[in-house]
Amino acid sequence: MTATPAPQSEPVASTSSQQSIYEASTQYRHWRFSQEELANMRSSLNLDAVSAIRHAFENDSPGSSTSVAFLNAEEEHLLVKLYVGKISQLCGHFRFPEEVEATAVTYLKRFYLKNTVMDWHPKNVMLTALFLATKTTNNPISLESYASHIPRTAPSDVLDLEFLVAQSLGFDFAVWHPHRSLWGIWLDVQTIPDVSMDDLQKAHEAATTHVRAARLTDAEFVYTPSQIALACFSLASPTLASTWARAKFPSLPHPPVLDVLEPIKAIILRNGSPPDVEAVREVDRRLRLCKNPEKIVGSNAYNKKLQEKEKKAEEKRKRKAEAARIAMEEGDPFGSELAKKAAAELDDDDDDD
Amino acid sequence: MAQRNGWLRGTIIRKSGASTGGSTRTGTPSQVQSTSATIYGGGVKDPSGRTSEYFSMDDQCPVCKSDRYLNPKLRLLVSACYHKMCESCIDRLFTLGPAPCPICNKILRKLAFTPQTFEDLTVEKEVAVRRRIAKEFNKRREDFADLRSYNDYLEWVEEITFNLINDIDVAETEARIQQYRVENAALIELNIKREEEYQRYLQEQEEAERQERELRAQELRRLEEEERDEREKAKQGIIDRLETSDKDAARLVAKSRAEAQKRASARAASSSSFSQSSARLLRSRAAQSTVVPDVPHIPLQDDYYGYGDMFVQRDTYYDPVSEAVRKDREGIMRAGGYMIDQAWERALRFAVAGLEIAPPTGVSRQEGMAVGGKGPADVVMATA
Repeated sequence: MTATPAPQSEPVASTSSQQSIYEASTQYRHWRFSQEELANMRSSLNLDAVSAIRHAFENDSPGSSTSVAFLNAEEEHLLVKLYVGKISQLCGHFRFPEEVEATAVTYLKRFYLKNTVMDWHPKNVMLTALFLATKTTNNPISLESYASHIPRTAPSDVLDLEFLVAQSLGFDFAVWHPHRSLWGIWLDVQTIPDVSMDDLQKAHEAATTHVRAARLTDAEFVYTPSQIALACFSLASPTLASTWARAKFPSLPHPPVLDVLEPIKAIILRNGSPPDVEAVREVDRRLRLCKNPEKIVGSNAYNKKLQEKEKKAEEKRKRKAEAARIAMEEGDPFGSELAKKAAAELDDDDDDD
Repeated sequence: MAQRNGWLRGTIIRKSGASTGGSTRTGTPSQVQSTSATIYGGGVKDPSGRTSEYFSMDDQCPVCKSDRYLNPKLRLLVSACYHKMCESCIDRLFTLGPAPCPICNKILRKLAFTPQTFEDLTVEKEVAVRRRIAKEFNKRREDFADLRSYNDYLEWVEEITFNLINDIDVAETEARIQQYRVENAALIELNIKREEEYQRYLQEQEEAERQERELRAQELRRLEEEERDEREKAKQGIIDRLETSDKDAARLVAKSRAEAQKRASARAASSSSFSQSSARLLRSRAAQSTVVPDVPHIPLQDDYYGYGDMFVQRDTYYDPVSEAVRKDREGIMRAGGYMIDQAWERALRFAVAGLEIAPPTGVSRQEGMAVGGKGPADVVMATA
């Protein structure tokens, strides 16, 4: 089970021939960004959302959008962060394991890299993300009991968004979490000779709180889970952390991982606390005014959109039926090549809605 | 014997020689007892629970329109042209020799009526056609140079079968079958023989196994008897000795007990070696009879680097987190196959995975998924 150690060989060298399992993960391939990329994504997403929603307002009643103060990217992020904290509270209430909590947090944060809070309020998305996380981490709970423990929530509220959330996640459900890496570090540090168990235990406890704080930050989009865990450990006990890191790279005098730790620590200390509730309340108040009218059930714009959709679907059905009729008349129940092509075109033009 | 008398109990009804050629049909209606009076609904079941003759409460003879209400003993049989008729109609129409079917005018004989197995007569027909086709189109993979031609052959056979089932170009199809039969007469014969040989081989195997089982049972019986005899004798011996000897009674009893014990253990040893040898025999036979070598299945044959050289796992760690699982004597937590060393290994792997990966910088990199592509990535599917 344990691999034989090869002290002489440098791990970095062996990665060059093979792909490491972490680099093969969806987390590495799809959900790894630089700080600048993250900022750009958020601001461009916000700009696009604002223009789309402004358009929806204008459609509803011209001139109505001038008085609306839309949220900017930072305010959106602040709101999401508040609900990340809410997930932890909920998990405490349900006594879910840490795995569920961490996964749900990651889902929520990933969701808002693709969507805006002005379309989908995090209050609802959070519930769905958590419910999805219980399922993907194999800690299932029945939908009824889940919904009954949360005030003013029906099972359908949770389920309605589920596919949307899963789709936004790109169905990348597996997540590599720093808390598991921290467990591994805690185990592996015990192999270093002359480690005081008391110090280690204290350091581990402190590091665990730092890992939880790191969940409120963007660290997981930039750094690998092992780096985050090591940084948290280093916050708790810098000497032990650097000793362990050096032991992992015996052939390097100064392992590059040590340079990564400082920025992570800075992020955790800077952003690792829950946002000021008053500030968020102000954001939420404004959000009520600038929500996408097309997403509010019962509003004019929503009904209009619904009608439009139905009209389009009706048209499509008609065209399809027509194509099928023509095909039947030609004698081939599966349609001729030409009809097939026409049908394919039909399918193409319905998903830009 | 049991098979021959099966019809008496009304449970086994054999549908013999069912191919579409009328002359080969032998299932005579008179031989099969009507069971409709005893079992209702779902048809007649054979001992294994399979339906061997189908009938339902709504049966009605299409010829005389008599139904189960008028005639509780109504029994419908199927003709060679797949039309149903009741037994009395068959008697009435065909006793005097071949006559045309009242429905499709095909000439039928009384002997060519068979009990119905399937509810749907098209299925009945398909099964019959397939049975007939399989008899002659029995080429095997070995008879072809490559898989491609074998597949072509199979497809051709399927086409013929389909034509026969759906009555498409019957004359031409029959001609094709005839031609095939002429061309491949030798091979067909050979394959039939092969099949028979294989059947015989299986039968022999079964027979041998049965004999061995019997032998073993006999041996066991014999041993048991011997043991009983011995015990009796020993008991008698003790009594005799107690009677004649003037030694301590307890000591005598203990001595003879020990002797009995020794004999019993010797017997157990010999019988266990016997059962072992038979088990080995069975196993070796199983190994012989497997035609396809069983290649072990190895999932996940990939070539990822799992950081195996970055950590050495110890046998045990000081780990309060997993205390409950390791102390779990009843194994409630480990029931699903949870093993703490695997969890540890995973954690260790996570601890070193990606340590050396430098964080991405700048904005040059292409984003993983389309985000800014078409406005807010609004993947509307849910009903808000």
